[in-house]
Amino acid sequence: MSNIPVERHYTCPWCNTVSDGTQLSCPGCGVSIDVEKIVTKSGWIEMPGRKDMTKIQLGHSSLQIEGEYVPVADFNLAPNDGVYFSHHVLLWMDTQVKVSAMSLKGAWNRLFAGLPLIMTEAQGPGHIAFTRDAPGELIALPIQPGQAVDVREHIFLVATHSVSYDWFDTGVWFTTQEDNSSKTHYPLGRYMDRFFAQQAPGLLLLHAAGNAFIRHLAPGQSILVKPTALLFKDPTVQMHLHLEYPRGSSGSSWGLFSSSWRSRHLWLKLYGPGRVAIHSAYDPAGDDGRVIWRHSDATQQEW
Amino acid sequence: MRTCPTCQRPVAEGQKFCSHDGTRIPQDVAPQQVSAPAPPVAPTVPPQYAPTPTQPPNVSHAPHASAQDAPIERLKCQWCESMNEKGATTCRTCGAPLDIKNLVSESGWREAPRLKDMTEFQFGQSTCQVEGEIVPVAELNLAPGDAVYFEHHVLLWKDDITPMSTMPLQGGIKRVLAGMPFIISVANGPGRVAFSRDATGELVVLPLHPGMELDVREHAFLLASHHINYSFVRVKGLRNILFGGQGMFMDRFVTGPTPGMLILHGYGNVFERVLRPGESIMVEPGAFLYKDSSVTMDVEFVQLTSGWFGGSTMSLARMTGPGRVGIQSMYVHHHTE
Repeated sequence: MSNIPVERHYTCPWCNTVSDGTQLSCPGCGVSIDVEKIVTKSGWIEMPGRKDMTKIQLGHSSLQIEGEYVPVADFNLAPNDGVYFSHHVLLWMDTQVKVSAMSLKGAWNRLFAGLPLIMTEAQGPGHIAFTRDAPGELIALPIQPGQAVDVREHIFLVATHSVSYDWFDTGVWFTTQEDNSSKTHYPLGRYMDRFFAQQAPGLLLLHAAGNAFIRHLAPGQSILVKPTALLFKDPTVQMHLHLEYPRGSSGSSWGLFSSSWRSRHLWLKLYGPGRVAIHSAYDPAGDDGRVIWRHSDATQQEW
Repeated sequence: MRTCPTCQRPVAEGQKFCSHDGTRIPQDVAPQQVSAPAPPVAPTVPPQYAPTPTQPPNVSHAPHASAQDAPIERLKCQWCESMNEKGATTCRTCGAPLDIKNLVSESGWREAPRLKDMTEFQFGQSTCQVEGEIVPVAELNLAPGDAVYFEHHVLLWKDDITPMSTMPLQGGIKRVLAGMPFIISVANGPGRVAFSRDATGELVVLPLHPGMELDVREHAFLLASHHINYSFVRVKGLRNILFGGQGMFMDRFVTGPTPGMLILHGYGNVFERVLRPGESIMVEPGAFLYKDSSVTMDVEFVQLTSGWFGGSTMSLARMTGPGRVGIQSMYVHHHTE
């Protein structure tokens, strides 16, 4: 028998971080790795539970996740390390932590889209903690150099300085018209956040309302999700609007998109390859039930 | 005369619980009567003639007296510091688990104990059982002579025999103008009554010892036992009122000579930190849940500017010790009225 130790590899199903699997939690995202992976028959992977007070090391800084109902992300920032965030997610901080504004490009567009105009940044040393206002889960996404992830607006909690931030037009919209007034709806939000790491790895923290699930789509594989249930996706995943009309639905069938809201389902159609993550507690998409007059690229299904 | 097995204080005849620490008094043990046969222990010696610790005890009676003379092993609750009997799994005074490690973050925040489903604890002659975990319910079995007070919208159910009354309050007009409840309701024993709030969160059980003063965010208190005096204090400073996230007043709970029990409901998870004298911490005002009255709170502004578009101002509450500060992790304010 050989006494040479067998090298072990454990790949986290959530963040793909490879570790030796001897620890109780993934060093990249903190989820438990000593529990069996929970996968639905349809292929969704439920976010594994995270032990209370789980700690993630980020270079010289560290992150501890506290609580389980509405978890808190408690950073211990080393000197010269920093994070940025929307200021309404700040819970508490040490008095020596320096906070300042991080200006963003396209301020006018952000202003009209209801996005935060200012991103706040905090500089170590010291402790600073963040949380959101809904029961749910904290998702820690390590981002490797060259990697990017697209996040639906208002999901982002905090990111380390090494993660760059940008945003782009979702291209998912429709216009309703009644009488002489028209209104443009953005069921996914007008813009989407894109986070990417250029040279150094970084960590992105998101907040999911309710439970979070992830699925890997094969190339060409598609799935329909409620637009506001989307948490994040890989940039390789393409998306567009999908309209569905059940058989025997009430409302007029005059025209392609003229059914009433009772009989109309608005979906986001996502195409692989890549990851798609959703959360279980989501707001109803903005659909006033009026006749759809114009829309972005869309498919439809009438039963 | 009966004595409490936990604190050894005398207990009146017929009393089921110790009035000091709430320990249940065993009913099957015969009270120690003066006329009862003397136990096999050394005779009582006046303190001034008691042997010094260096003198060896009378070991001749040790085999017979060991059960009574041995020091009582007690478990100290890390949350409320009450003493419990050896082998207890939950604190008799606050319901905190005694067999689970205290969760303290590296930054010094202690997580409020997660009460086990159906945990029961005592206050006065009454008991409280905590039911559920996501939106927990506090169900009280009030003994005759005991009472609790509460804001009326937290009442979940009650026995039809449980008497109800109201607590007279001073400054009614001020309270109405400040959005505080005009009437505080009182449930009197005997009978059962249950309370809950309208959001995911935790029940924070705070046994208040004599002389304690605790300030609580308005609408955050679920119930308090009648031994605790209730008042309210005006938040000082216009800045603190406008940007402190909790309005003009805070509830203040003060104990007299008798201990009492206060139960709060915190949205999300609740954390507590003890600040040293002069130590400060910046807290989102909406997250504040409670503090010792010795802790000061002042709102400060942080300017966040962004060139042409001006920017915004972030308000944070500077909490300065000494004393405890409690915060909640979900700080959206849920209106229930």
